[in-house]
Amino acid sequence: MRALTYQGPYRVQVEEKPDPRIEHPQDVVLKVTRAAICGSDLHLLHGLVPDTRVGCTFGHEFTGVVEEVGKEVSQLKKGDRVVVPFNISCGTCFYCQRGLTGNCENSNPGSDVASGVYGYSHTTGGFDGGQAEYVRVPFADVGPMKIPDDMDDESVLFLSDILPTGYQAAEMGEIKGGETVVVFGAGPVGLFAMKSAWLMGAGRVVAVDHVPYRLEFARKFANVETVNFKEVGDIVLHLKELFEGRGPDVCIDAVGMEAEGSRAHRVLGLGLKLEAGAPTVIEWCINTVRKGGNVSIIGVYGPPWNFVPIGTAMNKGLTLRMNQANTRRYMPHLLEHIQKGRIDAKGVITHRFPLEQAPDAYHLFAQKRDGCVKCVLMPHGHA
Amino acid sequence: MPQKTTQRSSRAKNGRAKTRAKANPTLAVDLDPANRPGVPMETAPKPLAGARVPIAHQHAEVPVFKHAGRKEMPPVFGTAQPPKGLSGLLRKAAYAKPDHKPGHWMLLLLADRVDVWEHRLRRSLPWAAPSAAAFLAGGLMWRARSA
Ligand SMILES: NC(=O)c1ccc[n+]([C@@H]2O[C@H](COP(=O)([O-])OP(=O)(O)OC[C@H]3O[C@@H](n4cnc5c(N)ncnc54)[C@H](O)[C@@H]3O)[C@@H](O)[C@H]2O)c1
Ligand SMILES: [Zn+2]
Ligand SMILES: [Zn+2]
Repeated sequence: MRALTYQGPYRVQVEEKPDPRIEHPQDVVLKVTRAAICGSDLHLLHGLVPDTRVGCTFGHEFTGVVEEVGKEVSQLKKGDRVVVPFNISCGTCFYCQRGLTGNCENSNPGSDVASGVYGYSHTTGGFDGGQAEYVRVPFADVGPMKIPDDMDDESVLFLSDILPTGYQAAEMGEIKGGETVVVFGAGPVGLFAMKSAWLMGAGRVVAVDHVPYRLEFARKFANVETVNFKEVGDIVLHLKELFEGRGPDVCIDAVGMEAEGSRAHRVLGLGLKLEAGAPTVIEWCINTVRKGGNVSIIGVYGPPWNFVPIGTAMNKGLTLRMNQANTRRYMPHLLEHIQKGRIDAKGVITHRFPLEQAPDAYHLFAQKRDGCVKCVLMPHGHA
Repeated sequence: MPQKTTQRSSRAKNGRAKTRAKANPTLAVDLDPANRPGVPMETAPKPLAGARVPIAHQHAEVPVFKHAGRKEMPPVFGTAQPPKGLSGLLRKAAYAKPDHKPGHWMLLLLADRVDVWEHRLRRSLPWAAPSAAAFLAGGLMWRARSA
């Protein structure tokens, strides 16, 4: 089959590789109809995730049609259309049983840090991902959700990751009604966090980024106020001032380890690898949020450590919440929001490409060019 | 260009918050925490729909590492890109350390770089070997002639 493969930092290509097969009785093999490129994939592309091997196929946000079914699979049959959560979760371990499918302990031998994830290095289990014509999907009765007959794949594609992720980010902000919320990062995850903050009753939502077209997109798509951190002097002081000198009630980090805005962190984290990426936005969240406020971290950071002002958080009495998204549990609820027209999930798609042009899509998305918000690959064409 | 913002009444772009909130028809439909699927984040234990026990154990036909902090292989894992060459040896050394040790991660990052160089080398061998041989032969002939 044809698949996108990693060739080293900043280099991906599309090449021939063996078709995936059933390796466990609870597996299915999917024919991929849509596969999106995520901000998380950029961390892989840039060589920041340990144990990303040459040849790895990325892609953890996809829909597809069941092609082959393992012996123990009972809920799916050949021809079913499904959307698949990015976490590979068994449904029965200590964590899955408690709803923490993003922390499943039965799908990743490489590390206790995370569950297995499709196409996300051997640090999350060594599974190939969905930016390919076919993909192996383990625990097929647990994760995948059938797509309603009257819905197209793109309408539900983002139930695989960014929509639940953005929703969980807002949820971890513990909005009770009327709160002021600042969302750092106006990428797809940030956009859905903003939408979700409104759904939960936020009183005011402000987006922070430095890419003008993304801020413009956020104003239209999520109906928020915006701040370009490159156009204000000190972003922390600026945001505090916006909220009566105290800062907002909730700060959400939807940026992660490749944040702009601090030369020191970029040199230490991205250049010298003395910390795991640039935790600039964690620092900004902790410094900006009001005392007793809530910081929700959904942007991805890796082990082993980062320089973050934990003492400030302690002294300010902050609540810090964070996790990988426990995608599966949000899917039915957010499907309903999509069906009722409350969230236009596919409204974030700005670019579609055939699989062969995946490297171009990566570079467009990474460099934030051409108004790109979200790229979707179509491994089998428009069908 | 950088611009200083005015104090106090300053508003971010896109106007006043109150009007924005009112203009938003989906505001607060999930205000009640009972409507939020992830509240509380940790639920009372119960197997998920579709889950099946016991989980059969997958057999690997290629080497798959588990980090030293884990007692057993999980029942399911990926078998993509089995370890090879020098990078494979480095990865083996990395997984001999549990994942809370910084050395585990540093060795993996090193192995990733070595992996890239190994692939480049392997890829360039088909033309690099003959051209190196030709270069060598040319050099020898030149020496023989000038001697
Ligand atoms: N926890 C999870 O389960 C989960 C799931 C999906 C994605 N993520 C993570 O969420 C993050 C965002 O993903 P995305 O797809 O939206 O990525 P993206 O790259 O499209 O968006 C990130 C945005 O942050 C902006 N940015 C950079 N530095 C900033 C700063 N200092 N302040 C404010 N904005 C800044 C960028 O300009 C960009 O618009 C990534 O780290 C990704 O790995 C986490
Ligand atoms: Zn993603
Ligand atoms: Zn599990």
